[in-house]
Amino acid sequence: MSDKPLYVGFDLGTTNSAAAVFDGEQTRVVRNSQGSNLTPSVVRIDAAGRVTIGAKARRFLERDPANTHNEFKRLMGTGKALEFPAARVSKRPAELAALVLGSLRKDVEDQFGFAPTRAVISVPALFELPQSSATSEAAKLAGFEKVELLQEPIASALAAGWSAGDDGGAWLVYDLGGGTFDASLLETADGFLRVVGHDGDNFLGGRDFDWAIVDWAITQIERREGVKVSRANPAHADAVRSLKQAAEEVKIELSRSTDAVLVPASPLALDGSEIDVELELDRATVETLCSGLVERSVEVCRRLLRQNRFNPSQLSRIVFVGGPTTMPFLRDRVGAMLGAPIAEGHDPMTLVAQGAAIYAATTNLDARPLELAGPRVRGRRLWLQFPAVSSDLCPHVVGRVVEGPGQKPIRLELHRGDGLWKSQSTAIDGEGGFVIGVDLLPRKSNVFKLVASDAAGESVPVDPPTITIVQGVTISDPPLSRTIGVALANDSVRTYFDRGTPLPAKRTFTHNTVESVAKGGDGSVLKIPIVQGEFDRAHLCRLVGTLEIPSREIKASLPAGSEVELTLELDRGGRLSGRALVPRLDQVFEEVAHLLVPAADPEVRQATVEAVRERLIGLRGDAFRSGAPRRVGLLDGVGQGLAEVERDLVAARGGNEDAGQRARRSLLELDADLEEVEQTKRWPELEERKVRTLTWAASCISQYGTPREQKLFEEVSQAIDRAAAEHDPRELQRQLRLASQLGETAWYRDPSTWEYLFEDAASKADSATDLPLAQTLVREGRAALGRDDNQALRRVTERLWRLLPADVQTRRQSFDSGVR
Amino acid sequence: MADSSWTGSDKREAARARLAGNPFYVLGLRPDCARAEVEREGQKLIGMLELELSSATRYRSPIGVHRRTPELVREAMAELRDPNRRLLHELWATLEPIDEVAGEAPAASESEQASLAPFPALRALGFGDWGRR
Repeated sequence: MSDKPLYVGFDLGTTNSAAAVFDGEQTRVVRNSQGSNLTPSVVRIDAAGRVTIGAKARRFLERDPANTHNEFKRLMGTGKALEFPAARVSKRPAELAALVLGSLRKDVEDQFGFAPTRAVISVPALFELPQSSATSEAAKLAGFEKVELLQEPIASALAAGWSAGDDGGAWLVYDLGGGTFDASLLETADGFLRVVGHDGDNFLGGRDFDWAIVDWAITQIERREGVKVSRANPAHADAVRSLKQAAEEVKIELSRSTDAVLVPASPLALDGSEIDVELELDRATVETLCSGLVERSVEVCRRLLRQNRFNPSQLSRIVFVGGPTTMPFLRDRVGAMLGAPIAEGHDPMTLVAQGAAIYAATTNLDARPLELAGPRVRGRRLWLQFPAVSSDLCPHVVGRVVEGPGQKPIRLELHRGDGLWKSQSTAIDGEGGFVIGVDLLPRKSNVFKLVASDAAGESVPVDPPTITIVQGVTISDPPLSRTIGVALANDSVRTYFDRGTPLPAKRTFTHNTVESVAKGGDGSVLKIPIVQGEFDRAHLCRLVGTLEIPSREIKASLPAGSEVELTLELDRGGRLSGRALVPRLDQVFEEVAHLLVPAADPEVRQATVEAVRERLIGLRGDAFRSGAPRRVGLLDGVGQGLAEVERDLVAARGGNEDAGQRARRSLLELDADLEEVEQTKRWPELEERKVRTLTWAASCISQYGTPREQKLFEEVSQAIDRAAAEHDPRELQRQLRLASQLGETAWYRDPSTWEYLFEDAASKADSATDLPLAQTLVREGRAALGRDDNQALRRVTERLWRLLPADVQTRRQSFDSGVR
Repeated sequence: MADSSWTGSDKREAARARLAGNPFYVLGLRPDCARAEVEREGQKLIGMLELELSSATRYRSPIGVHRRTPELVREAMAELRDPNRRLLHELWATLEPIDEVAGEAPAASESEQASLAPFPALRALGFGDWGRR
């Protein structure tokens, strides 16, 4: 048992998982009971209910596929339960992930003598909220008391940065896992790591390389044997699985040799006959098969660099992370395409786990159970604030003496464990507070003894008696990877946190209900949908959770137009919590319900595919007629994407839920791409809108805007010019939206605005949800107008708005939002 | 429509806000400080605010004393980590902060704002006497 803190990090991967510990000076990868650094993320449950995890379970993927599951990480956060028919049990992906985490936790216990209670678990940067939430749940199920989630690219950059010394510059972390791709741009200076931005593809991974090889194998088998293996046919599922396993093996083999043979473990059973398969494959063929996928990943990197105004030549290194990046052709290709040097000497398979362990130290998440974390000293309790890891050589230790038992100290010193440094004796102030600067040994775990004394100079015991500060690379607050907001009844989005917001973050906005909720058991629910995405129309964003106010739980009936104060909070790992206060009822609702990725029913998706295709045909014809090559290019991309979606839907019908999920996401993205093409088509219109919006907003803001609004408007105007110069309709629209919001805010301060808005609302009073109240309000408004009482007019108009009904169709599109 | 005096006071308010909310003043640092000092001071202040030590709850700017919160400190640190944004703030942080309380509510009344003009700070920055504009 270590007398120093020990920090534990886990990389819960799609294909493999790993654990690492950090003792303040170095990281160590934890070996499992088979002596391996990696534990396959595979779980088997047999007829007797025995659970097998890791390499042992992996052997059963072919022999007993029905009772063996892998790649469940891609289903995290969905409602899909995976069946184990032999044991007659079903497990949610989070429960399976918990089993893998539990196994890794046991490995740590075997090696270090205690089961860690606190740890950091890595998640892909572009994980949606339900996926992160499911990961936290898995950790709880695995027995952890507290976990922090950390985005994988930050973990790998932290680990690479820890060993890289003091080199500054920009880094690109190219993280291709089994199921996800993340690209992150980071910058180091003075031992401080800053995340400039990240991008990625939540559904591009090594597995797609395997499937590309499987598709090639299927074509070869058809040509040689005349037998068509279908990924859509449930009867061929075993054969497809067998080919997939062989493809994965051959891919790994080709990382070391130039040619290999694809041989499934057993003959393929197809339509009553058995076929022996032995296909020769060389590296060049795999390169050709996978070049589209590599190109797709590099395009994500280029987009990331472009968005952050970085030139690839500015990159000082590319760090590769993830199993597929061990393929030499991939590393060479990516390096060549981006024209940047490759950082060598890192283990791409365990870098994330190591980074997670280092991060655990920066957040002071000692993995040792409290009762083992050192003997309790019965002394005066101190509250302390200090960085557990510091890039600074001279950080501060801030503290306060807590009221309670024990003699009160009046002076304090810190003595470094090596005996070569001690702080000046610092007087504790009247509040019991103190601030002491400490001197750290570089790249070491520095233990300091707290030496307290009373007025007579006698020693006073304090608790804690020692603290540890590790000197090394640290990171800034991690930025949010996707904008989070609330879908409103008019299909717009109230943004709570913009992409890039440093975490943790917390925001509160007031909404109004669009309909009445009667107290009682009629089962009606007021929904507040939480969405993630960069679009201003709610239905184009992803629904990631819904905060519900059910009729059976409210103290009294809630009329339409009632205020709801919604607070959304994100922790450093991007976990969301929501809280809705209804002042009229003095009631708080805290459960974010249904934090689930929506189900991906293939039939519904097929109907969406048809709709997207129809829209695509219309737009393509139009693009050809108007001779717009850029638009034609964009639409070709959508066409290809649609073909991929159809392939996924075929696989989904064959029982592959993961492919169904991918189809769902891809369709959302394709829909958004078509939206962009529509906007490109309307570029002259957009330019005209730009001039109109800027003129109007500038006039409002110059007259009525606050200084902060004026400052923001300057920045937004510059961003608008940039987006226009780059012909980026999506960004231009986003910035114009910001300019409009700023303009509107200022416009509301113009006295005549409320007169206009009141008359507009009064003209619709006939359709109000509460007609008598609306009529009273119109009368009050007229009276306020008569006496030039602008404040009263504003109050009346705002109340009138709350009574006007939301359009049912629009509301349905906006995830049935019950607020505006 | 707003009259010219409104515009004048509003501009004054803009300058006020830039000075009062300047990250260097929030962190109690000068514009020539090193990047490491930003982190060191920010970390110290967040710690002090977490422990509710009263000596950290206020900060000085050239126009007075203002309330400091952990959110403000975090935002200030984030602003100064970005080299381009830091340059902008450096321009506005060349003046020495003062001790007197000048009020912090941005919605100060017209008469209160008038009493603050002319700001010595703004004059030093080349803005002249706002009260006479």
